[in-house]
Amino acid sequence: MLSFGHPLFLTGLLTAAVPIWLHLYFRRTPVPKDFPSLRLIRLSVDAVIRRLKLRNWLLLALRLAVLLLLVLALARPFVGGTFGNIAHTGSPSAFVVILDNSLSMGVTHQGISLYNSAKAKALEVLDQMGPYDKASVALLHDPGTLLFTQLSWDKNDLKEAVRNAPLSLSGTNLTGVLQAAVKLVAPVRSYKRTVYLITDLTRVAWKPLLDNGDLLARIDPGIELVLIPVGDGSPPNLAVAGLELEQPLVMKGRTAVLWATVANHSDRPRQTRLSILVAGDKKQDLPIDLEARSRKRVKVPITFPAEGVVDVAALLPADSLPEDDVRHLAVPVLAPPKILVVKPPPERDGSPSRDDIFLRFALNPLNRTEGATFLVESRLPEEAVSLRLADYTAVFLVNQRQLPAPFVDALAGFVLGGGYCVIFPGSRTDPEWYNSALLDALGGRYLLPARLFKRVGNAVSRNIAYQLTDLDTGHPAFSLFGAEGNGDPRRAQVWEFFQVQPNPGALVLARMSHGLPGLVEERRGQGKTLLVTFTADTAWTNWPLKPTFLPFLHQALAGMLGRRGLRGGSILPGAPVSLVVQEENLQKVTLLPPQGAGIELPIRREGEGLLHISTTRTEQTGFYRLVLTGKEGTRTEAFAVNPPPDESDLERIPARKIPRFTELSHRAGSATSLGQKVQEVREGRDVSGGLLWLLLVVALVETALANRPPAQRPGVTA
Amino acid sequence: MDKTRRLSRFLDPKVLASIASMEIRARSVVEGAIEGLHKSPFKGFNVEFAEYRSYVPGDPIKDIDWKVFARTDKYYIKEHEEETNLSGYLILDTSGSMSFRGESAFSKLEYAATLAASLAFLMLKQQDSVGLVTFAEGVRKIVRPKAGMGHLKGICRELEASEPGGATDIGETLDRVAETMRKRGLLIMFSDLMDSAEAIIAKARQLRTRRHEILLFHVLDRQELTFPFEDTILFRDLEDKSEIVADAYALRREYLRRLQQMVTTFQSALRRAGIDYLLADTSRPIEATLRQFFTRRMSGAARVA
Repeated sequence: MLSFGHPLFLTGLLTAAVPIWLHLYFRRTPVPKDFPSLRLIRLSVDAVIRRLKLRNWLLLALRLAVLLLLVLALARPFVGGTFGNIAHTGSPSAFVVILDNSLSMGVTHQGISLYNSAKAKALEVLDQMGPYDKASVALLHDPGTLLFTQLSWDKNDLKEAVRNAPLSLSGTNLTGVLQAAVKLVAPVRSYKRTVYLITDLTRVAWKPLLDNGDLLARIDPGIELVLIPVGDGSPPNLAVAGLELEQPLVMKGRTAVLWATVANHSDRPRQTRLSILVAGDKKQDLPIDLEARSRKRVKVPITFPAEGVVDVAALLPADSLPEDDVRHLAVPVLAPPKILVVKPPPERDGSPSRDDIFLRFALNPLNRTEGATFLVESRLPEEAVSLRLADYTAVFLVNQRQLPAPFVDALAGFVLGGGYCVIFPGSRTDPEWYNSALLDALGGRYLLPARLFKRVGNAVSRNIAYQLTDLDTGHPAFSLFGAEGNGDPRRAQVWEFFQVQPNPGALVLARMSHGLPGLVEERRGQGKTLLVTFTADTAWTNWPLKPTFLPFLHQALAGMLGRRGLRGGSILPGAPVSLVVQEENLQKVTLLPPQGAGIELPIRREGEGLLHISTTRTEQTGFYRLVLTGKEGTRTEAFAVNPPPDESDLERIPARKIPRFTELSHRAGSATSLGQKVQEVREGRDVSGGLLWLLLVVALVETALANRPPAQRPGVTA
Repeated sequence: MDKTRRLSRFLDPKVLASIASMEIRARSVVEGAIEGLHKSPFKGFNVEFAEYRSYVPGDPIKDIDWKVFARTDKYYIKEHEEETNLSGYLILDTSGSMSFRGESAFSKLEYAATLAASLAFLMLKQQDSVGLVTFAEGVRKIVRPKAGMGHLKGICRELEASEPGGATDIGETLDRVAETMRKRGLLIMFSDLMDSAEAIIAKARQLRTRRHEILLFHVLDRQELTFPFEDTILFRDLEDKSEIVADAYALRREYLRRLQQMVTTFQSALRRAGIDYLLADTSRPIEATLRQFFTRRMSGAARVA
């Protein structure tokens, strides 16, 4: 906080000994004087001795102060400069200007753009850059950008970078950017190091940093952190804070429920209208009353007539921050998914397999071809070899003894590319072949989530009945049963099952009542495999007869389908989006952003026939299409990019509550420019003039006290 | 130094010239054998009875003795001594503190002695009898009262011989003087009163109850009255030789307050007891001090008469 222009003058502080010496010297040499009687003098001394002592000490203090002030003034002190900086006044500066370009800076209040104000302040800070100073500029959005990874001497480049810095629609990564800025200036210890942070001080942005108080404390104390607030107060703001589907799957022609969340970030109740747009057409227009600082969830039922990915948007009238008044959701509207059941051969009497019957019934109870949730197709293994598995959503392997090698190979690729494989064993199941062909022989492309061992229990005698326990209600397959009244799979009985040993990466979704795994699932590439350790019919269990079996299968499939492809609406601006497909014939992938021309994306080929497509060109908010062009035609994936809901809360945190930072407030029209204030922070304020004035005052007081006026008071009279 | 010159130290011709036209009037009734210039203020009040005589027209009605008239049914006038001769002591403080000489021409002792000599001359000239007492811790010298100008030399000789020294004990001195004076008389004291104020006032009151007339010249130097010092000073006591270091400037206000308090105490207490008190500043001309003294005496006598 204190530095000196001429520190050598500080040696003059030794002169402080002079008045002490004078004081002591003159105390020993009083002037002798004969006087008629000391009686009155003694009485007077007793009366004024305390006042005399006080005066003497005061006089000594004043004389010391005179000398100290003189020496300090000559040393030309600068106050308020770089805290703890070892560099003395006149050293060059190394600094980073952090410009907050997060979404909340997009506010336009009373005709003034907050972001433009911040840019102007950043330019003013850079204007103070001297010829030997070096600096960088960082942007505060999430994840943050260091525009100059090395400190630059080129003021014009830095200013140009500030002028061209775009407003991001993403959140604020204060911790990350601040750390990067500090890391940049930390090594240049011979410079005066400063980090200027120009921000709107939203509470939500600062909360992570302030909650982690150690971070600020760990910053090198030689680096000054200067806070330059922009904006004044928090303008009222309404925002669409959320838009989501109630169910994981939206089927063509069936009603889906959409939930829209509207937030009022102002201190007064507000009324507004929420519009729901489907593919750009307004479908609903809902009046909404909101209490102060509250949120409201609105339920909107919508029916999608055609399949494909649809842009659903929730829209509010534009206010001071228009970017958060609309939220998009990419809704994949599906035709009924096709399910392939690889069934066992018919019974010896020629009757169809009971496993197949139970599964088909569970997946399509009414056996409809129109309006069904799933279209089920049963094939023997040798028939399935010729099928194109990519046309199916899931493949069920039911009570199979062995499978043709080409089918196994195709099935492994199907799963890795995003397919779902469900394995039900049975009396025909040969554990050795399963372990060998579906686990060991496939290497990294294995299918079995667990190694099979012997069978446990006896389905013939049914002496011991096992039950499912430890259900993983966090999994989509069982989440439905976490709520009261939706049934309980644990009531089903299992008399016989395979003992299995799950793979290290597998999840046990349920266990048998004595602890052995009952259902095991493992993610494989973009897909999943699920192993049920007992039969799909009533041979080993009575679960297929229970009302919980059907919803279990439906939920497991829906959960799998819901996570296929691109996720609908949870992508933040600037965040990467990636997609893995298994399409050997894919030729071109084009990204169509909400505004502007399409961008062709590179296709990265990974092992096992998988293609990886990724992009970070997601700066805009809105609905994005990803057009995949192959030899066999094109198909479209889509996703939506939305602003972080937290950025809509414009409530500010008082600067005084932020430790470690020095606030540098500046209002338009004030007598001192921001540049001058920056200069004061950098160099400190030259207080030698003030010290000289103070010296004059102290000297006058000392003179008045020491050189007392001659006795003018008349003497004693009768 | 020849006698004339030594005498002239105290009998400054300018002083004598300035007061030669004045008459010293005693305020108290003093018995004396020689009729002088003093008019008795007790005349007609049976203080000093002379005789009765018959009333003759023209006599003041107030002089008629009405008690005799009541007994005899005749008018008699009661006659009194009209003039009395004054017998007094000049009491001079010769303690060490009286040797102080600030920036004045005289030390306090010289100033007091000059005053005493001047008053002795005038009293002797009016055929009053004058004695002298010098004292410090106790009485040093007593010169019995005598009349006649020839006695002046003896008094002046004693005044010249007085050397300052020792402490002050006014109470003891006044006791000795009271024992010495069998008749009522005039006591004129010259002192800086560096003693207990309560003791001085108590003794003076005792003398006053014996119907002695008392005059008190409080002799102080200008430096004592104004305390004009600025620096840190090592003060040495002229009586007991003790020392004290003090910041004179810082002390001044408190010192003057206490001195003023002391002077006011003397002034008010002594005047209540019927004792004349006069603060004599040694920086003032002696004739001015004497003129002030006589002016006050005359106005006091007129008021009583």
